[in-house]
Order: sequence, then C-alpha cells, then structure tokens
Amino acid sequence: MEPTAQTISFLINGTKKTIQVERSWTFLYVLREILGLTGTKYGCGTGDCGACKILLNGEPKNSCTLPAFKADTCTIVTIEGIQEEGRLSILQQAFVDAGAIQCGFCTPGMIITGTALLRDNPNPSELEIRRAFSNNLCRCTGYVKIVEAVKLAARRILAMKKEQEVLKEAINVK
Amino acid sequence: MSNNPTSPIQDFTYVGQRFPNREAEQKVAGEMQYIDDLRMPNLLHAKILFSPQAHARILSIDTKAAENLPGVRAVVHAFNTPRNVYNSAARFYLDTNERDMPKTEYIFDTTVRFVGDRVAAVAADDPFIAEKAIKLIKVEYEQLPAVIRLEDAVEENATQANPFGIQGTNLCGGRVSYGSHSEKEVLSAIDKAEQIFTTTFRTSRVHHGYMEPVCHIASYTRDGKLTIWTSGQNVFCFRDVLSTALAMPQSKIRLIKTVCGGAFGGKLEIMHEPVVALLSMRTLQPVKIRLDRKETFMASRSRHEGILTITSGVDTQGKLRAQHVRSQLNTGAYASSGPNTVGAQSGKMFILYQAPHMYYTGAPYYTNTPIAGAMRGYGCPQITITREVHTDLVARALGMDPTEFRLLNCVRPFENNCLGNNLHNALVAECILQGRTAFDWFKKRKKAEESHKGRYRIGVGMDIAVHGNGWYPVYQDITTVTIRMNNDASAILLTGTHDLGTGSRTILAQIAAEILRIPPLDIEVHEADTETTPLDLGAQASRTTYIGGNATILAAKAIREQLIDEAALLLALPKEMLVLENGFVVNRQTPDQRISFIEIIGSAQSGKHGGQREIASTMTFESKDSIDSYAAVFCEVEVDTETGKIRPLTILAVHNSGTVINPLLFEGQVHGGIHMGLGYALSEEMQIDSRTGSLLNPTLRKYHMFTAEEMPSIQVMLVQSPEEAGPFGAKSIGECATDGVAGAVVNAVSHALDGAELNRIPLTTNYILSKIPTSS
Repeated sequence: MEPTAQTISFLINGTKKTIQVERSWTFLYVLREILGLTGTKYGCGTGDCGACKILLNGEPKNSCTLPAFKADTCTIVTIEGIQEEGRLSILQQAFVDAGAIQCGFCTPGMIITGTALLRDNPNPSELEIRRAFSNNLCRCTGYVKIVEAVKLAARRILAMKKEQEVLKEAINVK
Repeated sequence: MSNNPTSPIQDFTYVGQRFPNREAEQKVAGEMQYIDDLRMPNLLHAKILFSPQAHARILSIDTKAAENLPGVRAVVHAFNTPRNVYNSAARFYLDTNERDMPKTEYIFDTTVRFVGDRVAAVAADDPFIAEKAIKLIKVEYEQLPAVIRLEDAVEENATQANPFGIQGTNLCGGRVSYGSHSEKEVLSAIDKAEQIFTTTFRTSRVHHGYMEPVCHIASYTRDGKLTIWTSGQNVFCFRDVLSTALAMPQSKIRLIKTVCGGAFGGKLEIMHEPVVALLSMRTLQPVKIRLDRKETFMASRSRHEGILTITSGVDTQGKLRAQHVRSQLNTGAYASSGPNTVGAQSGKMFILYQAPHMYYTGAPYYTNTPIAGAMRGYGCPQITITREVHTDLVARALGMDPTEFRLLNCVRPFENNCLGNNLHNALVAECILQGRTAFDWFKKRKKAEESHKGRYRIGVGMDIAVHGNGWYPVYQDITTVTIRMNNDASAILLTGTHDLGTGSRTILAQIAAEILRIPPLDIEVHEADTETTPLDLGAQASRTTYIGGNATILAAKAIREQLIDEAALLLALPKEMLVLENGFVVNRQTPDQRISFIEIIGSAQSGKHGGQREIASTMTFESKDSIDSYAAVFCEVEVDTETGKIRPLTILAVHNSGTVINPLLFEGQVHGGIHMGLGYALSEEMQIDSRTGSLLNPTLRKYHMFTAEEMPSIQVMLVQSPEEAGPFGAKSIGECATDGVAGAVVNAVSHALDGAELNRIPLTTNYILSKIPTSS
C-alpha cells in the first residue's frame, strides 16, 4: 500500500524543522495546525485571496495550494518571521502608521507580498505596487492605504539607506 | 481642493486625531488571534451536510456509517434535535411581531429549502474525519417544486418556497406601505404632473466578501453552561436567539465576540452557532466549525436582490412634485432580515429629496435560494441606485445638468420633509456644491463628451445618498457603557459595541479620553461579551459612532463628576471652580491648586469623605434623534465600446458626517465602501442557476471583487459641520460609505453611452455591448 505519510525537512523563520506530513495536507495546514503558526490565515483554500501567503525560497506563494510535501528542503518565511527581534519591520510599521489595517485578516499576506516587492524593487511605482498585490484581496480598505503604506515604507527604507551611507562615509574618512 | 480635506474643525486634544487603530500592531505582526486561531484542549471539529436540493422533504437520514467512523463523536439532524422555531436576525427579545420578524428557521428541519440549507452535522476529532463522515450520511429526499427567481416568486399562484408566506403566497412578513398621503393620492399627483417618468431597476445578489470565513466555537460544560465564540456583530441578540432555539435560559448562555476579520453586516445574524452548540452538548467537548469559502458563499447571508420601480412627476422647471417607489426584495428561503430591510429601505425614500407627495410600498418575497440578510446599507443601496439612475434620466430628459436637478430637489438643513419630520443639519446640497467644484464637474463632463466619437468613451456621473444613524424613531435604540478608574488613574471601558475592524475600540477611547483628560492608550477597551460588558444592540444601522460614542460621553461625564465631587472636598473648593487636566483636577483659575486622580481615587476608596467607594460609572444612552449622514459621489469611467469593459478612473466621495472622531479610520471606511460599491456596480454577482437553485460561482475567483490593480484613484472630502446630537458633533459613516457609490458609477457609464438607459447591475460586458449607441 502506498505510504500516506512522508518526512520532510525545511527551514522556517530561520529554524530547521523535520516533521511527518500526510500527502493530503497543504502547507497551510502544517503551519497552522502542526507548527502552531497561526499568523498565516485560511481565507479561501483555493489560492484566490492571498491571505495564506508565505515566502517560499524567497517568493510569495499561497500556502493553501502548496502540498506539504513540496516544502521539503525549502526555506520558508512566514509573517512571524518578518519582525526583527520583536521589532516590526519598516513595512509593518508603515502599515500601522498609514492606517492600512482595519480587520487585519488580509494583512499578513499583504506584508509577505510587500516585503518581497520592496526587496526586489526598492522604489516601485504605483502601478508596480498595485500589480504586485493583484493576488492579495482586501475588503476593508479599498487598497488605498495599503498602497500608501508601501510607498511610505519605500521612502523610509531609502532614507535609512542614505543615513547608513553618510555614516559609512564618516567612518571611512576617519 | 483643500490640502487636508479631513482635518479637524474644532480644537480637541484627542477627538479628531489620526491615531492608528490600536489593534494594528498585533495584526500586522500576525499575533492577533482570530477565532480560527484559538486553541482549546479536546477541541472537536464539525462539518455540516448542506442540502444539494433547492426544495425537498427529508424522508430519512441514515447516519450509522458516519457514527461508526473512528473519531466521530456526534451526529445531529432534524430527527434527533429540538425543534424550536426562531428568527436568526431577531434583535428585540419581546418582538413577536410576525410582520417584522417572522420566525421561520429551525436548527434542523425535515424540509430543506435552498441549496445550502442544513441537513445534518458531525463532530469529529479532526476536520478530515468530519469531512469523511459527512460523505457517509445517506439522505433520502423527496423533491418538491421550487421557486428560484424573484420575478416568479411574486406572481399570483407562484410555487410556495416555504409554508410561511402570507396567505399561500411568497410574501414574507407583510408589505410596508406609507407616505405623505394615501397611495391613490400620490399616484394621482403624479398623473397631474407636467411630466412623468418611470424606471424599473434590477439589483443583484452580492456577498459581503469578508476575508475571514464563517467560524464558530461552542463549549457546553457539565454545569449546563454554554459558551460560544463568534466574530459576530450582535452578541446580546445572538444570546436571545440561541436561548429561543435551544430553549435555555439566557444566564446559561455566554456569547463572546472574537476579533473580527470583516463582517459588513454578514455576521449580524445567527448562522451555525446553534449547530456547534448542539454538538458540544452531545459531547461535552468544545466544538469548532469553519466553513470553507464555498460554504461561506452558499450558507451564510447575502444582500437582498431587488426589482424596484420608481415613478416621478415633475414640472417643467424640473421641480419634483410627486414620487412613488415600489420595491420587491428577494429574501431567500427564510425571513431573517427580509421585512426589516424593506422597512429600513422605506425610510430612505423621504429624507433625500423633497416633494409634497411621496409614497413607498415594498415587500420581501421568499424563494428557494440562499438566505438574504443584513449587508452594509441594508436596503439603502438598492433604492439609492434605482432612484439615482432614474434621477439622471429625468434630468437628461429635461435638459438639466444632473447636479443642478439634485440641487433643485434635494433636502435642505432643518427643513421638514413631506412626513413632517425635521431633517436636522442635512448638508447634502453642500456636498454636491463642494464636490462638483473639486471634481471640476462641468469641464470634465464636456471633455468626456468629446471622447464619445472613439472606441474608448469617457463618462462622468454622480449621485447622492443618505443613511440613518441608529433606529430612532422606529425601534428602541440604546447602549450602555461602563467606565472604571483603576488605582493608578488608568481606566477600563466596558462596552457591548462591536469592533469589526472598524476601529470602534479606538474611537471610543478617544472620546472618553477627551473628557477624562488622560491619554486614550491609558483607557483599556473591553468589548462585546454578554457576561462582562453591558448591553449593546449590535453593530448595525450605523449606530456605533453615534450611539456608542454618546454613551461613552455620558459615562465619562459621570466619572468626571465623581472626580470633581471628591476633589472639591479634598481641596475645599466649590465644584464649579474645578476642571480636569492631564490626570489632575485643578482650580481653573489657579491651576497650581490641584490634586491627582490617583489621590482622588484612593481617597474615595478609603472613605475619607463619606462612604468607601469606587470611581466608576455605568450610563445608558437612549437615541432621541433621527440623524442622517449624507454623501455626494462623483465618478469618471472609461468604457471600451469594443469589449464592453468598464474601467473606473477616478472617484470623489464627499461626506457630511458631522465632525470626525478619527479621520484616519474614517477615510478607511469610505475607501472600503467605495470598493464594495464598485463591485456592486461592475463585477460582483452571486449567480444562481434558475433551474437547480445552485450557486454557480462560489469561489473568490469567479465571484469577482476588485483587486488593487483595478481600483480607480480615490479622493475623500468632508463637509464638516457639527451635528448637535452627535458625540462631539459626529455622525456615523459605516453604511453611507457605500450607499451612493454604485449609482455614481452607473450614471457615469450611462453618460459615456450618451445617456443610455441602464436598468441593472452588475454592468457586465455583454449588457454594456447591448447598450452601445448604434451611431458609434
């Protein structure tokens, strides 16, 4: 009889995990029910809303349509892994400050998508931002303040980089 | 356009500030626990067997195989559970008015009445076993004739969808009919008018589209206590309904509202809480059910589909002389909010336009389709879009500009309407005037018309809308707030108000802070738990800011009085000389004379000055005013005459909502309302097979809500003028945020098509292609 369980190993938020998974499980199920990481949400189960997004080998992916066994040998980052030592990331703080969070259910998925976007494209245009979020649905905000938050984060990241460069210069001069 | 259109107009410290939602940080970190994130020992998982038939008698249910599946702990259905009829939308315990809140629902019945009706339910050790068990239940159905379409349900001799229709028809509850005069007199006034216009409009069934699927947890313990967690909008009323459905005393039922992942009215009614309650009673273990997205579409609630006919009599100057609306709403298989929605819709007839003769007649009808219930706007979007599309047609026929026609006929501040009711500070005309300037209306319209020779036609349109704040004078409308001062002068605010992601916890703290003179974050807000918070009648009818805010003011003022009373004794000063300032009670003339809240609270507790007591207050606010929020919405669209595709380009929403407690949160509400209105006009529809009654598109792929890429650019403007009856002059925004959006969009599209008469939503590509002017 074909075995239904399989052992997989993966890196999640910097920690290596080895677990047994059923072939029928989605990775979303593994996250929420096996690993207890409930920050990633179930919104539709069919890959249409983006509430379940994670970074899989750096790319935003819907975990609800990802078979658990496919996560073997992968590097995964969930919403819990975005914050840095308990501090909200620049993008997360921008979401808070810009009022981009109402019910908050879509927010973890938005942060995952936004994190990847700003990493690959630090100065995205409005159109590029909206395109990047085309698989993240929100019913509360009309996306207005979400787009503003991403722009705000981009500005802050740029400002921080400039500051770091100035510091570097000052040290080099010494 | 002003640089900061939503800036505060008065000098408040906390009210009017753009504080972020106090739940935002936990939510953005992925740390906020929604109901699906709660973990409990011995939690069982439930699944419901939903009916595949639109209308059928259940002859037998064989659950043996399901019961014998390892890991299955209980199976419930009509033949082994109590039969107590209820109305899932019931709000007032003593409301036995069969016209208004007919009781038509059972937890399980022996007849199923729509595809998605409950047949049976299973509790098992994990969701996979529950899913398997459902498939093992064998049901014998006897199919019954079904009525699916609204137009069929209203016919004489129509098939009856259920046994509750009035006198053998599908009429639900009763017809709502009233006006300034008798219907005969109003119709006669129309006949006598110089010009008569009629429009019939068909609105669609849409879903709330909240991102958090329907989910409930119930825990029944051996002491006879039932606790239910739900992200619903009406915990006290839910408790009423459950006590009826389960025949249990209310003291033995506790409803706890969890953090809500979106509701928009869709979680205002009891849904499957009774099912998990029953399963928990059978197993003495906590039971959770989470509907998947398909089940959420099929077996929750949706907006009432409608067919509305409006007739106006106008004189040659364009003045409205008489108006009549006839409305038919599709309430689905059970009554729930049907009659109430018609009632709420009727009120909107008389408070937006002025005419000496006005009449409304409307009724909900049963069909064998998914239950329609409360949804943001609650009957108002349907009448608004009908009336506003009609208004544009009338204006065009008379050669009048749409804004000019509305300015000529819309209500003005402090007038009485044709029913003799005062309209208070109704600033809709101001919304039109400011909006059309900001939108550059006339120029944009003209420029758009020049594009009508090409493939891509630009259209510019607008509309106006109104929504009430609470239920006065139709129903009782109260909420109670408790504030307790902690020993360190921080505070706790207990409220039955429900935060749906709307930020009510944040704004109620701002309001309390303004009076108590301590920072909002020093005020903890605990909400919506029938055991620990005082009464609230639900997050609905746009009552949260208006009623919750006013109750908070009463409670905070009572605290202020207690603080001053004690301070007066401690400082040996008359009370009139004392004010609150930054955690101190001070002499207003010589502020150095002061005493801290901490000392006052300690003094009161020690009974230094008569009676050891707590500084705490519980106050109830009763609404005694019918206050309305107004909006004017302007829209620019592009229509592709080859594909029929519509691209909304810009939207300007001008709102008259009194002063704004928190502009950041207010804007968010308007933005979300626009998203919902755009979908209503252009892309959303729950498609029901007219033969089988099945929902054809129960996925978020096929039920299309606007994505970030598709949104137009959006601007929000405020016509700020304090509403005397509102908390710090504020009015509510929740529903007005969406009521007027679809009409503006449809009017813009019509303008693009040289005034083509558009009689339905959503504006699908095929429909638009059929309306392209033949000259192009």
